[in-house]
Amino acid sequence: MDSSGMDGRWADGPLVELREIGRRHGERAVLGGVSLTLAPGRILAVVGPDGAGKTTLMQILAGILPPSEGEGRVLGRDLRREPEAVAARVGYMSQGFTLYDRLSVAENLEFAAGIRNVPAALREARARRLLAMAGLEHVTGRRAGALSGGMRKKLSLIGNLIHEPPLLLLDEPGLGVDPLSRRELWRMLAEFRARDTAIIVATSYMDEAERADAVLLLHEGQPVALDSPAALAASCAGRVYEWPTAAGTAASEPLPLRSRKQLADRVRAVLPEGGHAALPAGAVAVAPDLEDVFVDRTPPLPAPAAPWPAAAAAHPGGEAIVVSELSLRFGEFVAVDRASLRIAAGEVVAFLGPNGAGKTTLIRSLCGLHKPSAGTAVVAGADVAAGRRRVQGRIGYMSQHFSLYPDLTAGENLTFFASAFGLDRAAARAAIAWACAVTGLEPDGQWVRSLSGATRQRLALACSLLHRPEVLFLDEPTSGVDPASRYRFWTVIRQLAAAGMAIVVTTHYLAEAEFCHRICLMHNGRLFAQGALAELRARYGLAPDASVEDVFIAGIAREDSAAAAGEAAA
Amino acid sequence: MNLARVGAVITKETRELLRDPITVWLCFLMPLVMLFLFGYAVTLDVENIRLGVLDQDRTPASRALAMRFTASHYFERVRDFPQAHAITESLQRGELTLVLVIPHGTQRRLARGETAPVQLLVDGSYAATSLLAAGYAEAIVRGFASAPAAAVEPAVRIWYNPSLRSVNYIVPGLFGVILMAFPPMLTALAIVREKESGTIQQIYASPLTPREFMLGKLLPYAGVAFGEMLMVVGLGYAWFRVPFAGNPVELFAVAGLYVLITVGIGLLVSALAKTQVAAMLIALTIALMPSFLFSGFLFPVFSMPLMMQMYARAFPTSYFIDFARGVVLKGVGVEVLWFNVVWLAAYTAAVFLLAAWLLKKRVA
Amino acid sequence: MGVRVLTGLLRKEFAQFFRDRIMMFVVLWLYTVEIVMCPLALTFDVRHSPLAVVDHDRTPASRALLRAYTATEAFDFVAALARDADAEAWLDRGDAGLVLIVPPGFQRALVRGEPARYQALIDGSNSNVAANVKAYVHGINARYLRGLAGGPPRPAAGLEPVTRVWYNPPLSSNMFMALSMIALAGMMVGTALPAASLVREKEQGTIEQLLVTPIRAWQLFLAKTLPPLCTCLLAIFPGVLLMAWLFDVPMRGSFGFFLLESAVFLLSAIALGVFIGVYVQTLQQALLLSFFGLFPILFLSGTVTPIESMPPFLQTLSLLSPLRYYMDILLGVFLKGAGWRELWPETLALAALAVGLYAGALAAFRRRYR
Repeated sequence: MDSSGMDGRWADGPLVELREIGRRHGERAVLGGVSLTLAPGRILAVVGPDGAGKTTLMQILAGILPPSEGEGRVLGRDLRREPEAVAARVGYMSQGFTLYDRLSVAENLEFAAGIRNVPAALREARARRLLAMAGLEHVTGRRAGALSGGMRKKLSLIGNLIHEPPLLLLDEPGLGVDPLSRRELWRMLAEFRARDTAIIVATSYMDEAERADAVLLLHEGQPVALDSPAALAASCAGRVYEWPTAAGTAASEPLPLRSRKQLADRVRAVLPEGGHAALPAGAVAVAPDLEDVFVDRTPPLPAPAAPWPAAAAAHPGGEAIVVSELSLRFGEFVAVDRASLRIAAGEVVAFLGPNGAGKTTLIRSLCGLHKPSAGTAVVAGADVAAGRRRVQGRIGYMSQHFSLYPDLTAGENLTFFASAFGLDRAAARAAIAWACAVTGLEPDGQWVRSLSGATRQRLALACSLLHRPEVLFLDEPTSGVDPASRYRFWTVIRQLAAAGMAIVVTTHYLAEAEFCHRICLMHNGRLFAQGALAELRARYGLAPDASVEDVFIAGIAREDSAAAAGEAAA
Repeated sequence: MNLARVGAVITKETRELLRDPITVWLCFLMPLVMLFLFGYAVTLDVENIRLGVLDQDRTPASRALAMRFTASHYFERVRDFPQAHAITESLQRGELTLVLVIPHGTQRRLARGETAPVQLLVDGSYAATSLLAAGYAEAIVRGFASAPAAAVEPAVRIWYNPSLRSVNYIVPGLFGVILMAFPPMLTALAIVREKESGTIQQIYASPLTPREFMLGKLLPYAGVAFGEMLMVVGLGYAWFRVPFAGNPVELFAVAGLYVLITVGIGLLVSALAKTQVAAMLIALTIALMPSFLFSGFLFPVFSMPLMMQMYARAFPTSYFIDFARGVVLKGVGVEVLWFNVVWLAAYTAAVFLLAAWLLKKRVA
Repeated sequence: MGVRVLTGLLRKEFAQFFRDRIMMFVVLWLYTVEIVMCPLALTFDVRHSPLAVVDHDRTPASRALLRAYTATEAFDFVAALARDADAEAWLDRGDAGLVLIVPPGFQRALVRGEPARYQALIDGSNSNVAANVKAYVHGINARYLRGLAGGPPRPAAGLEPVTRVWYNPPLSSNMFMALSMIALAGMMVGTALPAASLVREKEQGTIEQLLVTPIRAWQLFLAKTLPPLCTCLLAIFPGVLLMAWLFDVPMRGSFGFFLLESAVFLLSAIALGVFIGVYVQTLQQALLLSFFGLFPILFLSGTVTPIESMPPFLQTLSLLSPLRYYMDILLGVFLKGAGWRELWPETLALAALAVGLYAGALAAFRRRYR
């Protein structure tokens, strides 16, 4: 098994050739009828809602899951007859992390090279080049477990590049990775692509899919579309409109729309094919993007129909969160540095920042899970420094890591959390019915561990809503969730806010910040800028239509140079 | 089989293990704790049996008899009863193991050359202790007044361990138990953890073959096992003065074979279990419990009922312990105990064939 | 409100607990199969120990001596060897546990009334067994002597011990083993389950969700305590029935009192599990600790070896082993008919251990999670 000498076997033909590939688990078809070819130097994005079969397809392509139907050749080897030969040659980065936390960066890379037949002579030079490319050359001695999410993804990636595979398979490479790291990840992929490496990437970020040469949209195991991003966008041309919220008639208006996206200041909608309804005044046609295509091509989700019972929150119009000069130190490390912030009831605020900026720590301390080292924080009228007990019951917290009981059913999880918040039986039943309606959930007897990611996320949200908290903290609630489900999620958030709940959200989908009233930017523990999107655009001298990402990058750059200047002065 | 790839797995596994101090600590401290506990605590040879005395005779003879008990180091006189009725409660409380009742007129009867009955009340609840206590007590009572020479006398000679020190049989047996306690569990957990955390996917999508993966996983834990074994042998020899009658090379060679079985069992468990808890429980029921209880380590296999003997002999530990005791205490080796070695070799082959077959199946 | 929180928490714990098939299987296994298997198999009693003989005398007297040995259950005759040297080989291989060597002239010496000697070679590699074999050799020899004298033994002058064994007249180790398996099962299940369950909350991240609810630490501990407590108390019933049926273990005390004492003991074991669960971070550590911690607890309990024969230091340490007290309680209630009047010190010791461990766990929990 030696990697040299077999180059050229596929040099002329496509790297990947699938004909009607499918996979069954017992009776259920997880994937079916996928046909595609991929030439060197091309990128294919695989998108689709939860349970569409993306991971199954990636595993089949990697040669670690035999297809039960169809024929396929990858790198010139047959997927049925020589799956080991395929697995030995591709680079496959599975979802989640594939690192050993207790090993250092260099040791992880050494292991990756060791099991992939990289000759010792080449190993050193390649490792050095890849580390430099990933910007990890200064942390080679650090343990993988101590790296940020973005660094871990980059390390996983270069581990799969060390044997210079002609085909790279990436399953959700952007999951849980901050925008800056995601940009670097894609910069690296571009370099490899330039050297004729073919890449197949499964993703729930549509901006990643936009960079691909072709996009494969899967739905419930079946291919729905396979075309270039431009061609797909063209299929929605003339059907995507935006209009300002002020002009918009209320949410109750029965427009026959494929999708409706309620942003902070405007509404974006996709009309069904052929149907041109009467649009509200001020509606303008905009260029469609892949998100629009996605919601257009997938069946609509049941809407979260749930009028919020009036006067749920205790202090409507009052201040929900008042933070002043709050600091958190762990030994020498300053996780949060003198943050000050006021959030009103009914306001939705996004915390944005790179991994390790202190967002999660700040939220946890506002929940009373960390004791502040200095400063004060009053949440829902209670001082968090005085102890967790005071704020319990007035806040809801949905942590970054999925935290429900996998061995209970959805209904049992809800019942448990209802009782944990002290609701009596009647109140619990009403609260569960309400929270399910709000989140569009139908609790059945299914184990939580067998639910899809998006359903779990909605269930976690429902669990944190049961006691009708005054303040809701959501830490990366939408990571790995497809666009259509995210729209619905945000609709719920808007409804809750409209009823007077203050909501704090962190997200790595920067575009989601457009759903929020206000944005807080964090970096290195400092909360350095806050305001509405328009205010921040103005502050950094950006165009009025600049994206959240532009604002984010400008802000971080400004903060970095200020910090450098401060250091120089000191 | 590509040795460079195996080497990569070994290096990675060793580093991971070394960086989990709690586990490493447990690996070496627990055998140590076991060695010292077993070394000091496992002996049925009772001393200081708690004795109560009810002397109704109150004569020089009765006092002399009671003195005989305390003079032997077996008994410790903790209570004297003035009357009989307190005895029941005292035995119920478990304060005493044995009560000596010397009735009125004992001295008088002895003087007349009659038989004088003396009562021994034994708490039978701790059966093993009670049996020995009763035996010692009867011997003292019988030997008190007269010592008629027995006409037939067995000259008892105890071989291999003349002083009947329990450490001598515990230490070689402990090799078998410790090697069954840690390596299977650690090997199984190391693989199941990769399944749980998803790192196994990277292994699947690489040129690494199942055999290479197994070998790389196995050798570091076999190394740990060998380290534990060396430690126990060394301490047994240096601290507990266990005589080492046989050839250490033979012992270590067969121990190597046995270590392969134990880590092989770990591989089997990892193929069966999906979660760490399940792996732990399976390893416990098929490796640790049988090797601890049904291997002849403490309790002899030959006195078990036939069915239980068959059960005990289905696990490899009893064969290894027999071999280890043979080498350490009896100074014999393969030439005598070849059957045990053949059996262990067969077991090794079976375990590995099964594990290799199970590991062949990938994600599907 | 506190009651509602608690009942909700308990409902969840019970649901999770009884859904874990593997755990339930292990619990049942420990309380039934082990309770039957271990007393049957594990004994230091000498039963069917292989006996080989080198008979140089070959007379009726020497054959009678041999019969005295094989007439008991203790020894099974396996081989008649020709030479003394063979004895060594048989002992070496472990094929014989005892070899008798009867020298020439054994019968002649007997007839002349001279001391007749023979050798008994015992495999000493298991010292506990060897000690028992030695005792049997002397016992059988005495019986053989009486047989020689013919008829009932002459009343010899001197003291005659009249031994009366209380509570367990056959002095069989079955009852003791069965009872100690009940105790051991409680210790294993009681420690491992709450430890695993607490650490799982940490690993799943659900502990953080609990922290933002009004659930108090003591409520959480109570919820982690009750399912294993109820399970073990229920599992005791089949265990006790099997014991009574197969090994004739009597129940001389009060059953209610026994259940009460078992609950106290289980609480101390569960408290240890909760303590471990609060301290460690990963499931692997929790499981390794709770299972390997069992060895010291088992050894310092007097279950395997008598406490009296331990060195003083270990005797002191044994005061920390909950199993030690529970064994005394079990033997007291089942075999001796003891009750509160006799067993209060053990009960208090168990309660003190439980309270101490819960307090330690609570303090650690408060320190970690404020």
